[in-house]
Amino acid sequence: MNAMELMKTGVKDLLDVHRLRAEFPVLERTVHGKPLIYLDNAATAQRPLAVIEAMDDFYRRYNANVHRGVHQLSVEASEAFEQSRRDVARLLNAPSDREVIFTRGTTEAINLVANSYLRPTIKPGDEILVSHMEHHANIVPWQLLCEQTGATIKVMPINARGELMLDEVEALINERTRLIGIVHVSNALGTVNPVAEVCALAKRFDVPVLVDGAQATPHEKVDVQALGCDFYAFSAHKMYGPTGIGALWGREALLEAMPPWQGGGEMILKVSFEQTQFNELPHKFEAGTPNIAGSIGLGAAVQWLEEKGIERLAAHEQKLLEYATERMEAFDGLRIVGQAANKGPVVSFTIDGVHPNDLGTIIDHHGVAIRTGHHCAMPVMQFFDVPATARVSFAGYNLRSEIDVFMDSLEAACRMLR
Amino acid sequence: MLRHSTGALGGNAMALETLYQQLVLEHNRHPRNYHRLNRPSHSGRGLDALCGDDILVELVVADRVIENAAFSGEACAITKASASLLTDWLKGQRIDNFHLAHRSFKALMADSSLTNCETLGEINQLRAVAAFPARVRNALLPWKAVDQALKTPMD
Repeated sequence: MNAMELMKTGVKDLLDVHRLRAEFPVLERTVHGKPLIYLDNAATAQRPLAVIEAMDDFYRRYNANVHRGVHQLSVEASEAFEQSRRDVARLLNAPSDREVIFTRGTTEAINLVANSYLRPTIKPGDEILVSHMEHHANIVPWQLLCEQTGATIKVMPINARGELMLDEVEALINERTRLIGIVHVSNALGTVNPVAEVCALAKRFDVPVLVDGAQATPHEKVDVQALGCDFYAFSAHKMYGPTGIGALWGREALLEAMPPWQGGGEMILKVSFEQTQFNELPHKFEAGTPNIAGSIGLGAAVQWLEEKGIERLAAHEQKLLEYATERMEAFDGLRIVGQAANKGPVVSFTIDGVHPNDLGTIIDHHGVAIRTGHHCAMPVMQFFDVPATARVSFAGYNLRSEIDVFMDSLEAACRMLR
Repeated sequence: MLRHSTGALGGNAMALETLYQQLVLEHNRHPRNYHRLNRPSHSGRGLDALCGDDILVELVVADRVIENAAFSGEACAITKASASLLTDWLKGQRIDNFHLAHRSFKALMADSSLTNCETLGEINQLRAVAAFPARVRNALLPWKAVDQALKTPMD
């Protein structure tokens, strides 16, 4: 269920945003003498105390390597690390925590699938389908693979509102299609894609689907079983967790059949110079000492999201999105890029005669942090024929009054630049 | 390293005013040499996809002297102002001088406490950019494009 549908079902108790804000120390700071208004959440969200303290606690009280020692600290660290894996499995409604592999983030998770799942069997002429609105993370790993193997990438088209043209997808699938890669929520446009429909279609042709969920996990309750996907990748830092950690969920049967993609410690059962016997899932894919503190922080972020209620956060964010959209549509010369019917809390835009870069610098001096540039989605920029856009993106702690300050800062920037 | 006072709002707000008043009024709205050349001997592209800047610098070079220079394309105010000032300055310069000035300009952008560099003339107006580390790349882009152009003479 997406955020809009959840809103219609009626979220019982509303989010107490001011109380929520008190949990984020960074929101107390000023930027250039003005209160920070952080509207760059799609790039990375801020972290609540619960996450910061969980990681701090690990380093202060039970820092040790995992799955290696018999001593108490290692036992505690291993337990916390594996608890985080169970937290992630719950977040995604994964059938088993054996299917959850910790990675550096979404990008590494997709690279893992490209290198361990597709590379061993892909042949020249094989095809990988991705949408026109993918982040570079869901394009470049496939491109590298294609260059080295003679496979090709095919693109699922989008319409002028920035929505996937689902009707066109079926015609693109054939017996050479090896995988479909699709972004759950577009970071550049905000579009929420009909992932379950894509998966249902793919299943008819027996094609596996990888979902880039980086922008989805902070804003909706993801259910990999209901979606019907085969791989789901996400990053902790987009959902109030630390940077440098994320996870890949994959169907157990697929993961079992895949060879390891990096070799080293942890991922082995027995090593001699003649042969190595690999460890079982999920450790087979986790070579070397993992990002233990990061994993613990991710677990804390999952627990924090559950405690606050993803639905409640999403309902609040959708109201912010509606208000911002309304205000921005009324702004002279402003064009919203990406007007899908179903959107996450992201508004990409351009303003006539004002380059996004200059806009970003000027409104930064009003304390307003936004993203400007190509958002690592250059094919999207090409589709809409813009060199770059500015983008605001909301999190649960943002306020309606912050949107007012943002709009005032836009006015000020235009006065200066036009 | 930033040496301007980040604590004082007045200073920063003024830096921002300085940055945009000089550049925007003069060069962003009315960039100099903002057109294609008929018969350039050299051309170089300045592309910063991350920021959305994409300019083309064209030169006419004879006997190691840059006789004419112009730029075209889409870019932010700082890139445009930098290209506008640079193309003006380039006319009549020896190639060696460009390379010397390029080094001086990079130094100027790296340290906001530096004073004017005489050879750079009007380009010194861009000094305010040094206080905006995220924007230095924009000021440097046209220089990179010229450097690229000089390495690749056209047929």
